[in-house]
Amino acid sequence: MNISTPVASEGAKPMAANEGRGALSIRNVTKIYDPEGVNVMAVDNCSMEIAAGEVCMIVGPSGCGKTTLLNAIAGFHSITEGEILLDNELLCGPSKPKADQGAERMVVFQHGALFPWKTLAENVAYGPIVQGKLRKRQALEKASDMLAEAGLGDVVTKYPGEVSSGMSRRAEIVRALINDPKVLLLDEPYRAMDALTKSIMHESLLETYDRTKVTIFFITHDLEEAIFLGDKVHVVTTRPCQLKKTVEVNIPRPRSYETQSSEQFRLLMDEVNEAVHEEAIKAFQAGERELA
Amino acid sequence: MSQTAAATAVPRRTKAPTGMSLFFYRLGKSLQTPTPYLTLFGVALWLFTWWLLCEGLRVDRFDKIPGPVAVSKDLFSPTPFQGISIYTQEYYDHILVSCRRILIAFSIATGVGVPLGLFMGWSRRIRDYAFPILETLRPIPILAWVPLSILMFPGFEAPVIFLATLASLFVTTLNTMLGVDSIDEAYFRAAGCLGSSNWDIFKNVVVPGALPFIFTGLQISIGVAWFSLVAAEMVSGDLGLGYLIVDSYMNNVTVPMVIGMITLGFVGWVTSMLVRMLGNWLMQWHVKALALQGR
Repeated sequence: MNISTPVASEGAKPMAANEGRGALSIRNVTKIYDPEGVNVMAVDNCSMEIAAGEVCMIVGPSGCGKTTLLNAIAGFHSITEGEILLDNELLCGPSKPKADQGAERMVVFQHGALFPWKTLAENVAYGPIVQGKLRKRQALEKASDMLAEAGLGDVVTKYPGEVSSGMSRRAEIVRALINDPKVLLLDEPYRAMDALTKSIMHESLLETYDRTKVTIFFITHDLEEAIFLGDKVHVVTTRPCQLKKTVEVNIPRPRSYETQSSEQFRLLMDEVNEAVHEEAIKAFQAGERELA
Repeated sequence: MSQTAAATAVPRRTKAPTGMSLFFYRLGKSLQTPTPYLTLFGVALWLFTWWLLCEGLRVDRFDKIPGPVAVSKDLFSPTPFQGISIYTQEYYDHILVSCRRILIAFSIATGVGVPLGLFMGWSRRIRDYAFPILETLRPIPILAWVPLSILMFPGFEAPVIFLATLASLFVTTLNTMLGVDSIDEAYFRAAGCLGSSNWDIFKNVVVPGALPFIFTGLQISIGVAWFSLVAAEMVSGDLGLGYLIVDSYMNNVTVPMVIGMITLGFVGWVTSMLVRMLGNWLMQWHVKALALQGR
C-alpha cells in the first residue's frame, strides 16, 4: 500500500487534517416509531458529545436503536424530540424534525451500498460529479488515485460484484472520503467479515484516520473492534437507546495490531464487557426483532 | 507430487481468451457438457413421437395431421404441393409482415411501458393514479379487445398492432415497476448522502437498478406480443403467420398450417434471444456478478 505519498492530481485537494471540524452534539434525542398504531420508543432522551476528530464507538445490543440514531444524524429519518448539532449548526431539532442529507456527513452502510452497476472508480467519482465539484474525467482520475492509495489500484475498473467484500468496503470508505466529509458514519461495516479480513480492515481504517483525522461515528457489536479503533466507547442500553456508560480509551495512536494483546487493552475490555453484558441479557429477554 | 512433475505440467492459461479464440474456447467447453447432446436427443425424440403418431402408426385422428416427413418435403421443395416452402416469396412475406408488426408493437410497448413503470415505481403519487387502472385493464383477455380495436382503428394493420402492443405493455410496465421496488433502500440513501438531485437518483439508481427486472419483463413481453399478434391476425388480417395458420386451415391445406406454427415458434425464440442478448450487453455488471456465482 502506498499511503505515505499523497497523490496530487489535477483538481484534487491535498488530504488535509480535519482538525477543528466535525464536532457532533446529540442532545436529548428521542425517537418514537409508530408502526400500526403502537408507539415504540427506539431512542429515549439520549445525549452525547463527540469532539471534532474523535473516533466515537457506539456499542450496544442488537436492535437497541443505534442505527436509528445514526439514521437521524444522516438525515434518513426524523427525530421526535431533542436536537442534533454539527459544528454548532442545527441539523435537526424541535422546529426541523428531519436533517437534510449532505455530503459533510457520509454513511458507510451495514450491508454495503456501492452501486453494483458502476465500477469502483465510477462509484467513488459519483459524489464529486453530482455535486458539480469536478468534471467527470477529473473526478474519475481523482477516484482512481484515491483507490490506488487505499491499495485498490488494480481493481478500479471492476464492478463491486467482482471484488471481495473487504475490497468493496474499503472502496466504500474511499467513496465517502473523496467528498471530504466532516463526519464519517459507519453502521457495523465489518459485521459480515471473517476475523482475518476484519483485522486488515481495522488497520486500514486506522491508517485512514491517522491521515485525515475525520470524526468517526462507528456502530458495532464487536468490543475488541470498539476499543482497538475508538477514542471513546459509548455503551448504550437496550431499547429504548440511552447512554449507559462512556469508556475513555487512552491507548496512544498510531495503534498497531499488537496493541490488542496489551494489559491495558484487556482491562478496558473487561470494563466495557461488564456494561454490555448486562444489556445483552436484557435485550435477549426482551427478544424483540430489530427495527430497521 | 515431485517438483519435476509440476514443472512438466501443462502451462496454465493466465489470460482470458478474446475474439475467435474465445468463441472456440466456449464451443469446446460446451461440447464437454451434456447440454448439446441432451438438446439434440430431446429434439429427435420429439420429432420421432410426432412422426410415430402421424405417419408411423397413423393413430386415429392424428392421421389427418401432416407428419414431419410430409412437412419437410413441402418446406424444402422448390415446387411445394400445398403452396408454401422456403422457396416461395409468400412464406417470407408472412414472416416479414409479422416481424414488422412485432417490431412496431414491441417498440411502442417498451417506449411507453418502461418509463411508465419507472415513474410508477419511483413516485408514490404516480402509482396511486395509474396502478388501479392498470390492474383493472390487465386481466381483460386480449381477444376481448378485438371488437373494440376494430371499432377504434381503421384498416387491418392498426388494430393488430394495437392488440399486440396492449398485451406486452402491461407486462413491461408491471415488471419495470417491480424492478424499481426491488432496489435496496440503501442505494437511494447512499445516493442522497452523496449529494444527488432527484434527477441524478433517477438516472443513476432507479434506471440501472431496475434494469435486470426490465429485461426479464421484456423477454416475457415479446413472447406475449407474438401470442396476441397471432390471435389478432387470426381474427383480422391479410398477411402474417397467424393469418397463414388460420387461412390454411380454412382452405383445408394442413401442411402450410404446421409450417406456420413451427416458423412462429422459431422466430419467437430468436426474438426473445435477441432481447436477452441486448440485456446482457447492457448489464455487464449483472452478468459478471452472476458468472462469479457460477451461473
